Amino acid sequence: MLACAVSAAWAAGCRSDPSDQITAEWTLEPSPPLAGSDVVARITLHDSARNPVVGAKLHLEGQMSHPGMTPVVADVIERGDGIYEGRMRLTMDGDWALVLSGELRDGSRIMKQLDVAGVHRATG
Amino acid sequence: MSPAFTARPDSHHVDLLRLPLVGSFLHWRHARLALQLPLLALAGLVVVHGLFGPQLAPRNLATVLTSIHWRGLLIVALLGVGNLFCTGCPMMLVRDAGRRVSHPALRWPRWLRGKWLALALLVLVLFAYELFDLWSLPRATAWLVLGYFALALVVDVVFAGASFCKHLCPIGQFNFMASTMSPTELRVTDVSTCRACRTADCIKGQYEVRPARLVQRGCELGLFLPVKVGNVDCTMCLDCVHACPHDNIALVTRVPGAELLETRRRSGLGRLIQRPDLAVLAVVFTFAALVNAFAMTSPAFAAEQRIAAALNVRSEAPVLALIFVVGLGIAPAVLLGTAGVITRGLARREPATLRHTIARYAFALVPIGFGIWLAHYGFHLLTGLATIVPVAQSAAIDAFGRAALGEPVWRWVGMQPSSVFPIQLGFVLLGAAGSFGLVHATSLRDHPSTATQASLPWLALVALLTTTALWILSQPMEMRAVSFFG
Repeated sequence: MLACAVSAAWAAGCRSDPSDQITAEWTLEPSPPLAGSDVVARITLHDSARNPVVGAKLHLEGQMSHPGMTPVVADVIERGDGIYEGRMRLTMDGDWALVLSGELRDGSRIMKQLDVAGVHRATG
Repeated sequence: MSPAFTARPDSHHVDLLRLPLVGSFLHWRHARLALQLPLLALAGLVVVHGLFGPQLAPRNLATVLTSIHWRGLLIVALLGVGNLFCTGCPMMLVRDAGRRVSHPALRWPRWLRGKWLALALLVLVLFAYELFDLWSLPRATAWLVLGYFALALVVDVVFAGASFCKHLCPIGQFNFMASTMSPTELRVTDVSTCRACRTADCIKGQYEVRPARLVQRGCELGLFLPVKVGNVDCTMCLDCVHACPHDNIALVTRVPGAELLETRRRSGLGRLIQRPDLAVLAVVFTFAALVNAFAMTSPAFAAEQRIAAALNVRSEAPVLALIFVVGLGIAPAVLLGTAGVITRGLARREPATLRHTIARYAFALVPIGFGIWLAHYGFHLLTGLATIVPVAQSAAIDAFGRAALGEPVWRWVGMQPSSVFPIQLGFVLLGAAGSFGLVHATSLRDHPSTATQASLPWLALVALLTTTALWILSQPMEMRAVSFFG
């Protein structure tokens, strides 16, 4: 019964996800990012009417594909016109996922993810 | 009574069943249920969040709880206490519920007895884990858990006894082998009481006459306590403790690993050294520890790329299959075969065949195998222990749409990997010390006049496994899930 209740809550939560109404365009610098070096992630958010999403309180995480690995967490600065920017250092070779999450101005929650596969250290 | 009643009361060992609180709890008829219910609830969470939660592994309870906490705590419990996760196995709870509806009438087929099938399943699970990167797939993890429950239920409502545990469960076989390193064992307290016993409730169970019904199960794995030796095949379900009308069963402390030297006939198993399936299980247990740890390192990924190029294939399956065949088949066969041949050459008057020589020493590798598993799973547990907090916070947001448990604190992870390495080193060296000791003790048992010479190749093998393990653990990790050719 508990599982059913939690399941229903999760399913309901998924249905009402406001993230679906927001599109995110990601730009990484450098691209592809290098392990052990800084990467700047620039994310442009638009709502369903293509209006820039402003005033969101966001943060950026870099998570590895394997649970339990130390994530990288970065503050996100709003640059205006729906553009948000965070700087982080991917610490390890492998597959990463960058996760932008937080609250929109109306208090609804947002989560956007960019998979970054095959991050490597610079060679030579 | 049978002359095989050789279990020894050990007055200088502590009986956990006689300790205050712990003993009372374990004697409580619902002690197992009390362990199973929380694990069933956690399994439910794993399934629900795995199916409906975010599919990013570090943010999902399915992958976090199984890859970090369950695996890590399982091996720690095996080392610290015993086979607690078999005790608390929630699948048996579901199975018991199923048996209220359907009573199994069949016995497990004789031709399928032994560990070969379970061994194949264990290798298959390890292979699938690497091939499909199950640690990165919450939904697949949830389905795997559901499938596991379904299989256990189906098998055990068709076949009597603990057929699934004894003959099929891959995790169970891992736990059985690992529990030879546990510091506790269920054992008869006073053999003379068993000699006088005419009911053998510990294995047959207790029945009520009117209405005729079983009121307390005996050992479903066929371990008759007076001739039970060691922990292999023991799920520590405590049925024997509850069934014995003489309160003659103890959960005693003991020297971990010492049972691997026992040559006595074991109830439900026979003699360890005459069971090639168990010897192979011990070898797979040991070498799989290396393969499993190696698979997540940068050199492994580079090796996979090179093999793929050499074979001119673009799929990971044949490459990984080759690594498994070499790592779990060819390498052990060559290394153990060579060690066996040298031992037979150095230890004169060796009466057994080469196969028997290898089987006798194979069990001495279990401690180093255990040490490597502990170092690997312990690493993930220690570096990821606190991740349950932000993941639970995140799951609450998924469920309720608000931060009911607070904003996820993603910086909560665990110890720094670099600070865990000395601990890993300690685990591996402790395992190596155990294997060195068992190798020498095996030689003293089987080649008393040439023990040192007989030991040499096996000591070299343990040293090689130890060095390899330390090299693997010192390699940079590379967490790949999607980009085999990326």
